[in-house]
Amino acid sequence: MKLLRDALPVGLFALALWLLPDLLRGTAGRASVSYLSLVTNGLGLAVLALSWDVLARTGQLSLAHAAFYGTGAYVTTIVARHLELPLWVGIPAAGIVAVLLALGLGAVTLRLRGIYFAIATLAFSEVLKAFFRQLPTAFAGGSAGMNVAPLFRPVFEPETMERWEIAFFRNEAYYLLYAGLLLLTIGISLWTRRSRLRPAFTAVRTNEQVAAVMGVRPARTKLLAFALSSLSVGMLGAIHAHRVGSVVPEGAFAVATTVFALVTPIFGGLYTTLGPILGAGLLSAIEEALKRNLSDGYLIGYGLVLVLSILFMPRGIVGTVRNAARRRRTTRETAPAEGNRS
Amino acid sequence: MPVLEVDALAKRFGGLEAVAELSFDVREGEIFAIIGPNGAGKTTTLNLLSGLLRPSAGRIRLNGREIQTLPSFERTHLGLGRAFQVVQPFPEMTVRENVQVGALFGSPGTSRAEGERRTDAALERTGLTALAGQPAEELTLLQEKRLEIARALATQPTVLMLDEVMAGLRPAEARQAVELVRDVGQSGVTVVFIEHVMPVVRDLADRVLVMDHGRFLAEGSYAGVTADLAVIEAYLGTPDEAGEEEEAP
Repeated sequence: MKLLRDALPVGLFALALWLLPDLLRGTAGRASVSYLSLVTNGLGLAVLALSWDVLARTGQLSLAHAAFYGTGAYVTTIVARHLELPLWVGIPAAGIVAVLLALGLGAVTLRLRGIYFAIATLAFSEVLKAFFRQLPTAFAGGSAGMNVAPLFRPVFEPETMERWEIAFFRNEAYYLLYAGLLLLTIGISLWTRRSRLRPAFTAVRTNEQVAAVMGVRPARTKLLAFALSSLSVGMLGAIHAHRVGSVVPEGAFAVATTVFALVTPIFGGLYTTLGPILGAGLLSAIEEALKRNLSDGYLIGYGLVLVLSILFMPRGIVGTVRNAARRRRTTRETAPAEGNRS
Repeated sequence: MPVLEVDALAKRFGGLEAVAELSFDVREGEIFAIIGPNGAGKTTTLNLLSGLLRPSAGRIRLNGREIQTLPSFERTHLGLGRAFQVVQPFPEMTVRENVQVGALFGSPGTSRAEGERRTDAALERTGLTALAGQPAEELTLLQEKRLEIARALATQPTVLMLDEVMAGLRPAEARQAVELVRDVGQSGVTVVFIEHVMPVVRDLADRVLVMDHGRFLAEGSYAGVTADLAVIEAYLGTPDEAGEEEEAP
């Protein structure tokens, strides 16, 4: 029943994603190649942010997102190089390996909380980076990294298309893959919000001991969140590696990946499905606008936007809007709002 | 037939013996009070029973099954419910959502429809139906205490443990709370409660266990136990007990 409530907005969002490439091509022509690439980056950020948020809903503020992202990139590259399998196999494989790693990390960090959990997950990410760098160069490229075969090679057909359209079709294919991954992540996120996982996640986040006395299994709940969260990130890292064509330890396990994964939901609104997506869209747009106007200094502007937004909207965009709406509602009802509002 | 059997239970914190050699049985369907001065180890005992603490020694049986090594959620699944002394609702949730946690997870394999039914029943029972949509952080103390009991009831306990539900309540409120506990007891749930307010113990308890310094001091009916000199001695030096006779519900 409640799923119907989500079907409409998600369906419209999916339709918009589907129509966007042709719309861009129709209006922007050749420039649509780079526009599409920018939108794809935004979708990637949304996947990163939303999957991080799913884990955060159980109170686990992880700094290990880069670990799953980087592992995904390496898994698909190694599968492509060393196994005689279709290229696409590497992507679900990356997701599965990321889930297994997450379960391992989650099991070890179950008893850690707050800053200790954060530090442990950050260390995990750094250890994995070192691990992949130290693997035999012939196997995993060492510190120089490896080239990664592209997933899509559009063929130029002189009669039906112009030359720039090769790039367009390639970008469009990656764009659709990213969009599909985002829809999968939205599905996961909505599942945790609409099923009995929602009270379990919130209970474990606010008071693990009390949650257990209410019958919730904290360890199982936290591990499930870890697995759900890492699945999307692992696949994102894999697709991204194919898209950019190379993988190096410093890039695959960049701390920046983790930072963006957590800053975006905080900016957009924690513990919601809309917040991280909205945050990713706005932050991508702001970043691009700043880059065009400030060139190299854009990071200063970007940092300023984040600091100000966290100072003045500590609950993120969605939280701020929701609070404002609630305040308006309570002031309009002159009688005390004691009634049954459910 | 005892539903809850405690046998030589002990808990040490470093050199401090918070609970030692504590044994008692709770019979099916009775309302059982645990009293004693501050620091007697009452709350520690409940924490040992509900699994928030692991005992240093001793056994706990629920319906004949040893539970002292089980995690909290398994004890809850086996029918041991608990309401906390310091009320700890999940503040971000509404009253209804708080109760839902207990209703959905209190016994494994509960369907969502069944969970909703149990939630409604627990809200109704505790008089919280009208407040169901209210955020839990906006409740008054009495309402919070009702919510504690509602959540615990929603887990469908066979034994419900209450930790000082009357503390901080005004006399009229305490009277309502007594009625609620009595009603729960009459529905067939075995109740174990810790209480400081002696008239409440007198009105509610079928049997009373007195603890002092973590140990068994006396057990029996309210009249029998209060007649025991040792109990009176244990209560000397706690002047705050003196005024509470007037709060008799």
